[in-house]
Amino acid sequence: MYGKGMLKGLGVTLVRFWNTYWDDAVWMWRRVTTGDKRYHSKEGIAHRSSKNARGIFTVQYPEEKLPVPEEFRYLPFLVYDEGADGKREILCTSCGICAKVCPPQCIWIVRTNDPLTGRPVPQPAEFYIDGDICMSCGYCAEYCPFDAIKMDHDYELAAYTRNIYDLEKLLKSSTYYASIRPANAAREEEARKAKEAAKSARSATHAAAA
Amino acid sequence: MENKESLNLPGYEIPDELKNVVSVTALDRLYNWGRRSSVWPLMFGLACCAIEMIAAQASRYDLARFGMEVMRPTPRQADLMIVAGTVTKKMLPAIVRLWNQMPEPKYVLAMGACASSGGPFKEGYNVVAGIDKFLPVDIYVPGCPPTPQALLNGLILLQKKIDQESIRKVRWYRKGPDSVEIPVPILGPDLIDPRRIPDIKAKAAELASTPAPATQS
Repeated sequence: MYGKGMLKGLGVTLVRFWNTYWDDAVWMWRRVTTGDKRYHSKEGIAHRSSKNARGIFTVQYPEEKLPVPEEFRYLPFLVYDEGADGKREILCTSCGICAKVCPPQCIWIVRTNDPLTGRPVPQPAEFYIDGDICMSCGYCAEYCPFDAIKMDHDYELAAYTRNIYDLEKLLKSSTYYASIRPANAAREEEARKAKEAAKSARSATHAAAA
Repeated sequence: MENKESLNLPGYEIPDELKNVVSVTALDRLYNWGRRSSVWPLMFGLACCAIEMIAAQASRYDLARFGMEVMRPTPRQADLMIVAGTVTKKMLPAIVRLWNQMPEPKYVLAMGACASSGGPFKEGYNVVAGIDKFLPVDIYVPGCPPTPQALLNGLILLQKKIDQESIRKVRWYRKGPDSVEIPVPILGPDLIDPRRIPDIKAKAAELASTPAPATQS
């Protein structure tokens, strides 16, 4: 019989269509009993991403967003620590390793010297990243010896003009970094503390020997 | 619907007693609503960004929610060109020709690093360093490749751009040529942009008129 396959396919669509509304009823019941919502909620997205999803599984993007994993990386940003009096302590020392390892070479750093002593200042005078060239490889974050440049989770970056980011736009606080990558931030903090403890222990033994 | 006071500039006085009662720009809003709710993209992909574009089109992200699901295989029916991927010099003449064949109003969205600027191939021998050297790009979406949600974000930005347009100002209802024809680049030993041919000729004439420096022979 001709057209059997087509009817079968339409049947699949019909079942999915029905499942969408059936699931709506199920979630309405859940909303009454447990308070879980189907849309605009964490459990709803988790359900629609799971293998138990039936019927519709669209993520209603502008209203709700798919949660990104911790290691998700988009474009890099610079980390700063909040100082005591609200001053921003930029971790970047403008060593230029990130600019050297960057495969598409989208990082541009301007260094400065102290006008009095003529020595280089360990802070970038200007720092540019061309967001439209960056290929999100994460080498800059991988190679940075000061943990000063990290990969961001923010992907909503579309613009009417070329995305060239300067220092002002790249700087984000370390609390923001800890909020998007909690496990990584904790690990780095631990390593830093261990290093400091080893350093102080070494200096203490030196002092005792002297 | 949110109130867009910037759109409510009719260009002539509304009497005080009629303010907030009549809206002269209702037609604009209707027109823009219709246009932005049926932006049909041209169906072509150039590289890996195309896979993300397809993912954005499929049911997980579902472009149909924005009226953009009708990917047109012909430029005559398309409103939007999503340049999704690396634009090689060999492909560029075809892309510019497709752009010229699209009817006004038309928009370009440069998706991903390669289309926006050449990306990792920006100094490559065979890749155009950004489609914006040839086409008037409306939206740049960074990322390598942009996730489907990043692309959707760019498309929503395009909808916002369309919302800001007014029938009184749009180019394709004015007198004169409705669209700017972009000369199709010539595929040569290296890519030649026909817009620069007069400059190249002038330079060549200038070099020919000046006596060549004495070379050893």
